Amino acid sequence: MAQAAALVVAEPILRLRGIGRRFGGLHAVRDVDLDVARGERRAILGPNGAGKTTLFNVISGDYPPTSGTIEFLGEDVTGLPPRTRAKLGMGRTYQKSRLFLGLSVEDNLYLAVLGVKSGHMRPVIVPARDRALRERARELTAAVGLEGREATLVGSLSHGEQRQLEVGMARAANPQLMMLDEPASGLSRGERVALTDLLLKLDPAITLILIEHDMDVALRVAQRVTMMHEGRVIVEGTPDEIRANQTVHDLYLGRGFQPDE
Amino acid sequence: MTVPVSADRIVGAGALLAAILAPFYLSSYWVGTLLTQMLFLGIVAASLIFLSAYGGMVSLAQVAVYGIAGFVLGNATTNGNTKGLNLGWSPWIGIVLGIVIAVAIGLLFGALASRSVGIYFLMITLTYSVIANLFFSQVTDLSGFGGISGIRAPNVIGNVEAHQNRLYYVALVTAFGVYLLLRYLVRTPFGLTLQGVRDDPVRMASLGYNVPLHRTVAFGFASLIAAIGGILFVWWNGHVDPASIDLGATIDVLVIAVLGGLYRLEGAWIGALLFVIVNNYSQRIGFIGDRFHTLIGAIFLAIVLVSPSGMIGLWERALSLFSGRRRGPLDRNPIEVGPAEPSV
Ligand SMILES: Nc1ncnc2c1ncn2[C@@H]1O[C@H](COP(=O)(O)OP(=O)(O)O)[C@@H](O)[C@H]1O
Ligand SMILES: [Mg+2]
Repeated sequence: MAQAAALVVAEPILRLRGIGRRFGGLHAVRDVDLDVARGERRAILGPNGAGKTTLFNVISGDYPPTSGTIEFLGEDVTGLPPRTRAKLGMGRTYQKSRLFLGLSVEDNLYLAVLGVKSGHMRPVIVPARDRALRERARELTAAVGLEGREATLVGSLSHGEQRQLEVGMARAANPQLMMLDEPASGLSRGERVALTDLLLKLDPAITLILIEHDMDVALRVAQRVTMMHEGRVIVEGTPDEIRANQTVHDLYLGRGFQPDE
Repeated sequence: MTVPVSADRIVGAGALLAAILAPFYLSSYWVGTLLTQMLFLGIVAASLIFLSAYGGMVSLAQVAVYGIAGFVLGNATTNGNTKGLNLGWSPWIGIVLGIVIAVAIGLLFGALASRSVGIYFLMITLTYSVIANLFFSQVTDLSGFGGISGIRAPNVIGNVEAHQNRLYYVALVTAFGVYLLLRYLVRTPFGLTLQGVRDDPVRMASLGYNVPLHRTVAFGFASLIAAIGGILFVWWNGHVDPASIDLGATIDVLVIAVLGGLYRLEGAWIGALLFVIVNNYSQRIGFIGDRFHTLIGAIFLAIVLVSPSGMIGLWERALSLFSGRRRGPLDRNPIEVGPAEPSV
């Protein structure tokens, strides 16, 4: 850990200290310290149930942590609700898509753009203001490869298209920190390649944290990798270090993890 | 929407025309009693359908709010010979006061229920309905069991019994205005946000929205619509008492909304029309009180079993058969009171 901290030169955009989250007797995340630098691409790996999604939920504010602190952009956000964190510059996707199924693709993205702006309660259509929001929504529709589907109800999109939209929802507000929870899950090989390209082309100023089971996607996109198991961070390093790491091999080959400190 | 817009438009325009011309071909009993009642009950049901279809909130408090507006109007405008405060103010002040107080209480109700969803939301709003009923029964300074009588409409409407068509047209214009307003509102940022909250409140929160506040404001807005219905009801009836907002009346409006179709605004008036007609004929054959409720309950079951999305659902299905289209994603089960998702 000391070594990892030394590599992070600038003030990190995200800093977790002693983060824990319990569900009743279950310790889903325990004692996680994590520093992510501005503009970094970080992958979080780990078997099912390792606590990766729970860690995202804690960072985004969907679940408050049961212990520890979260700093974002140098500010303690541990007690802030998700909407405030979104306005500070966090954006995320969900492992199981959370989309507005009764609305069109464009309206979904419209809401994602409007979220961090003012005027949620505006009961009138003001063409001058809505045009800009609509244009941005249509731009995003094209950017995630759904051009021509603007008016389609999201409930009738295919799984792959919903996953594409899910990424668009997280990008819409131009977040400084983007967290993607298994964006490639359920995608075909071709769709995975397209997604990887999309992630590689992302504005380098955006910080990206990516949970991904697909090692090809994760290790190509990431600069650093954090490996979780049973709620803890067990290894952190560059993709090459991770590839060479025996523990990682053991876990992914299913031999189980025996801590040998 | 998968239904061809043209067919909807044509039928809608036809229905509006039929309503405008109703006084020329229907008896004054039909117009003054049944259709006027249909219009204001439809407005209250529309406030419920708005909350349910666009906000995912099935509220049982709409009749309570409608009653609050009515009681305030009664207290403010009557003059001497009845229960209540008998303030004797102008009917216009009564309207404004009735609506403002109903909306204020609606906002309070909404704020308290805004963190609950599904069956819990339903139960909390049922409590509001019971509280409002008990409040006006017990607080004899404001009403008491007998209620407030002799409530008059403004002079432009005049004596409702002598000029039945006037109140009918006022109710028709109001109902149509409410319908257009709601149709417009759901396309605005406020309305789209509300639909986002309906579909996924957790996502909305992580996009930057204040979900409970949005639910509260939507509830307050629906209270405005219900209050307008309440004002028309009291002018039509000339009288308001706690029985006007008892559990039976609360359920009646839910029945109207579900009969019509809980997911499209038009359903409110379709359900209300069916309701007042059944009510009228069941009275003629001596089916009143519990027997009426048994009858409407049986009709309710029959329609909901055939078409879970009510009469509007039947209409859409007929259209899709006719045009050979598949059933759209909107043809979902309209009463989604579970599963409760307590986060946010
Ligand atoms: N809302 C919840 N309630 C109860 N247990 C949960 C909840 N969310 C996650 N868990 C549990 O926490 C553990 C970690 O889950 P999760 O964070 O989803 O793992 P991962 O994303 O790494 O697969 C699992 O055992 C899971 O069952
Ligand atoms: Mg997960």
